[in-house]
Amino acid sequence: MTRFDLTRFPKVNAVLRNRWPQFLLRAITLAGFTFTILAGLFGSAVGSHNFAIIFVWIAWWSALKLFFIPFGGRSWCSICPIPMAGEWLQRGGILEPGKKKVGLGKRWPRFLRGNWLQAFGFLMIGLFSAVTLTSAKITAIVLLAIILLSLLLSLIFERRAFCNYLCPIGGFTGLYAQAGPVEVRVKEAEVCAAHSEKLCYDACPWGQYPLALKSSANCGLCMECLRVCPKDNIAVNLRPWGSDLQADTRHNLSEAFLGLVMLASALVDSAIFSGPWGNLKMAAYNIGSRDWFLFAGIFLVAALILLPGFYALCVSWASKLGEKRRTLQKALAHYSQALVPLGLMAWIAFTISFAFVKFAYVLPVIADPLGWGWNLIGLQSKAGVGQSSAFSLILQVIVLAAGLFWTTRVTRRISESNRQSLPLILFSSAFTLGMLWLLIG
Amino acid sequence: MNTNSSNPAKVAPSKLLFFVVVFIAAALLILFIPLPQTASTPTDRTIRIEASRFQFVPGEIHVNPGDKVTVELISQDVVHGLSLDNYDFNLRAEPGQTVTGTFIANQSGVFRFRCSFACGNLHPFMIGKLTVGSNHLLLRGIVLAGLAAVGGFVSMRFGALRLSQGVQ
Amino acid sequence: MNMKKEILARVLVIGLLLIAIAVPVGGYLISSANMDHVVELHARMPENGGWSVGNITVQVGQPITLHMTSDDVVHGFAIGKSDQPTIEIMPGEFVDTTLTFDKTGTYTFYCTHWCGPNHWRMRGTIEVTGAGPASQLDSEPLYLQLGIDIDAPHLAKVVPTIQPSAEHGAKLAYLLPDYATSRQTYLTTSPADLWLKLRSEPSLSKLTDSDLWDVVRWLWERQTTPESLSSGLKIFIDFAAAAHGMTGKGDGVMVKGRPTMTPENMGHTLVRPPDFTDPHTLLGASPALLEGKIIRGGMGTGMPSWGAIFTQQQIDAIVGYLYTIAWNSVGVSSATPTQDMSHP
Repeated sequence: MTRFDLTRFPKVNAVLRNRWPQFLLRAITLAGFTFTILAGLFGSAVGSHNFAIIFVWIAWWSALKLFFIPFGGRSWCSICPIPMAGEWLQRGGILEPGKKKVGLGKRWPRFLRGNWLQAFGFLMIGLFSAVTLTSAKITAIVLLAIILLSLLLSLIFERRAFCNYLCPIGGFTGLYAQAGPVEVRVKEAEVCAAHSEKLCYDACPWGQYPLALKSSANCGLCMECLRVCPKDNIAVNLRPWGSDLQADTRHNLSEAFLGLVMLASALVDSAIFSGPWGNLKMAAYNIGSRDWFLFAGIFLVAALILLPGFYALCVSWASKLGEKRRTLQKALAHYSQALVPLGLMAWIAFTISFAFVKFAYVLPVIADPLGWGWNLIGLQSKAGVGQSSAFSLILQVIVLAAGLFWTTRVTRRISESNRQSLPLILFSSAFTLGMLWLLIG
Repeated sequence: MNTNSSNPAKVAPSKLLFFVVVFIAAALLILFIPLPQTASTPTDRTIRIEASRFQFVPGEIHVNPGDKVTVELISQDVVHGLSLDNYDFNLRAEPGQTVTGTFIANQSGVFRFRCSFACGNLHPFMIGKLTVGSNHLLLRGIVLAGLAAVGGFVSMRFGALRLSQGVQ
Repeated sequence: MNMKKEILARVLVIGLLLIAIAVPVGGYLISSANMDHVVELHARMPENGGWSVGNITVQVGQPITLHMTSDDVVHGFAIGKSDQPTIEIMPGEFVDTTLTFDKTGTYTFYCTHWCGPNHWRMRGTIEVTGAGPASQLDSEPLYLQLGIDIDAPHLAKVVPTIQPSAEHGAKLAYLLPDYATSRQTYLTTSPADLWLKLRSEPSLSKLTDSDLWDVVRWLWERQTTPESLSSGLKIFIDFAAAAHGMTGKGDGVMVKGRPTMTPENMGHTLVRPPDFTDPHTLLGASPALLEGKIIRGGMGTGMPSWGAIFTQQQIDAIVGYLYTIAWNSVGVSSATPTQDMSHP
């Protein structure tokens, strides 16, 4: 067995089942989120002096990419403040479910399920990222819009509709959570089979049924199922990285699309934010200009045609090299598992390339979050412009190489033979070389 | 469950250890082994860089190791700066006034230079690139990536490394 | 559901939210409360709104503190016709300065670091009211007193062919009629016109054309001091080089893409400044004319008006420096050949 059940420790089990720790963290993130919106709307327009910019795009983003996802899978979702107000209304209580539930509780439309909306959402973010990432006001407006949208959807639809189907962060967090080292699963299936009440399913804000849970992509680690299960039959397992990526796990085409969008975005964003090409940055920044439309066109062609096309070629080639017959659609979905570790590590490398440079701004922005001339923590020095250290560059190289190592293993695992895994390894190698050239070249 | 049609025999732990050691040693070698720079006589260079919101023109500069590089920085619109990663080199340009600074390019590799005076929204991404000599890190990265792909393959032959496989 | 726990949870959520809201709101209220005789002034590029406060009114003798920051790029603060030190304003950072005016009047404050092509428009006023002596801020400039049309063309009819030597000109000073050495003549006559006048003097007929240029250069340079020249240079670099170019050629970064000034487009469109490195440009202008251009600006050409900014001393320094550009450009290849009207 390669699973280490944390709940076997009574103290850990008690903490996980107790609603207070998670609730306190969520209350803090909600307050932080609110403060961030206020800072963005009313604070300094100078990005380096605004809590909203530094914390959302440097501190929180780095924490998400370097810590929450690689070590906790979809763990951010368990303390994310965005769905909170809606969830509280839906279940009629802040600490625990109550009687007065608010909301229409409709089912999410079938045709909007899957990762399609999230993938498109992420593409849209990419098109406007040069402005969003650099404007405190726009950042705040986006956050405000997201939290209001999530609230609105919670009043119409059941459960965490925004998180499941719309949140762009949720999209890739879920996708990469399949490679993460944490999972929630049932301990013994027979116990569930004999238990007719599905309290766990009713309690799950994600609409998952723990017994049927095979992938961590849609589990937000909220522990509600753990708390309501009368048989104490739910485990929180530590597991090896990449566990949901197997030869026999089921995946769908929308996952493949999301995986490809994430790869294309990593390439384009690396070019824009870490590259020396001023014309590209200006084109990405001057939204509505002719150059921006050209940029948007190239971005969309790369993300919707070129990269998926290259991927599809490799997949159909690989399919011909094996015996198992799959439709192209199923093959595209099946092999998209290889894109998960590849994308995760590419995003980690890209995050290192731009965020490490600016870490020195975190403390000053805590001392003066609104850029109003405060000094809340008695800071003595100001941040310099920052630089990419040799260490950070070597780290990016190692991370990208590790990504290729990992995705090669996953590809081999989900393929029938060495030969069949070669086309996808070619794809992954080409992508890795692209990232290397953009970040290190 | 193991569904691969070809199932190589489990390999002994000592072979696994050997593989891991060789792999890590190779990776360290690739990353850190000193590489010679292409022979070139250091020359004096003067490079004129125009800074505007939000780019440096030229954005990419190539010099040889040991070159004495004089940068003439001219700002086209607002106060900009130029700070070169890894080198203690920082200039500030008032618009219309050429400012000069000189440094010796004694470290090889690729170094980004950045605007060091807030000049608007895109300021943190106002970046240019200086290449001194050959970009060995890129070369190392490419070779390491190759090692990674090969290593990934080879590692699948070790049953003990199939940690994440076959669990329901 | 345990109501006590639920209420505690709700209280915690509301409490934390209140803290999150109280920090910015409270901070804002606290800082607004201490605003007696404090003005918060935000500097922004004119495209983004310029100075956030356009006019400040203060009593004579009453100290006022300006709490300043920049919302975009590096700016600076200075007061025209005053010896208050200039203050750099860094984006996102706050800097304070306390001013006390002992004379009434309307002062102009302005930005001191180029912040785009509209930088020179970035100005505001400080009205100092109350009972007190008035400052001499507005006095009629010489060109108005004399009725000089500073928009009329002023290309020099004659220019030297080799660089004049003021040192040599000084040796010939004893030959000059009195009017040649008066300050009034200097102020009201262009070098070229004075040269022509001296050329027609019978008492100077033995001097060569270049001797006369040496004399004229000496007459001009004796109106300056090394300190005023270096002050003029500094002012030129800080205020003018971005448009006029470091060398005065009219090729500054701010005028890229603009057409060269012609009689047809002058006054109708933004043009490049004239080329000071062509001696014809400045040697045909009198100091009063140049002073007028500096004070009033060029109607519609893009030349700012500096009347509220520079003191007389500063303008004299600038004018003195400008002529050195002209003198030093003689004989340099970019100057176009001239008509030599020397007498045999």
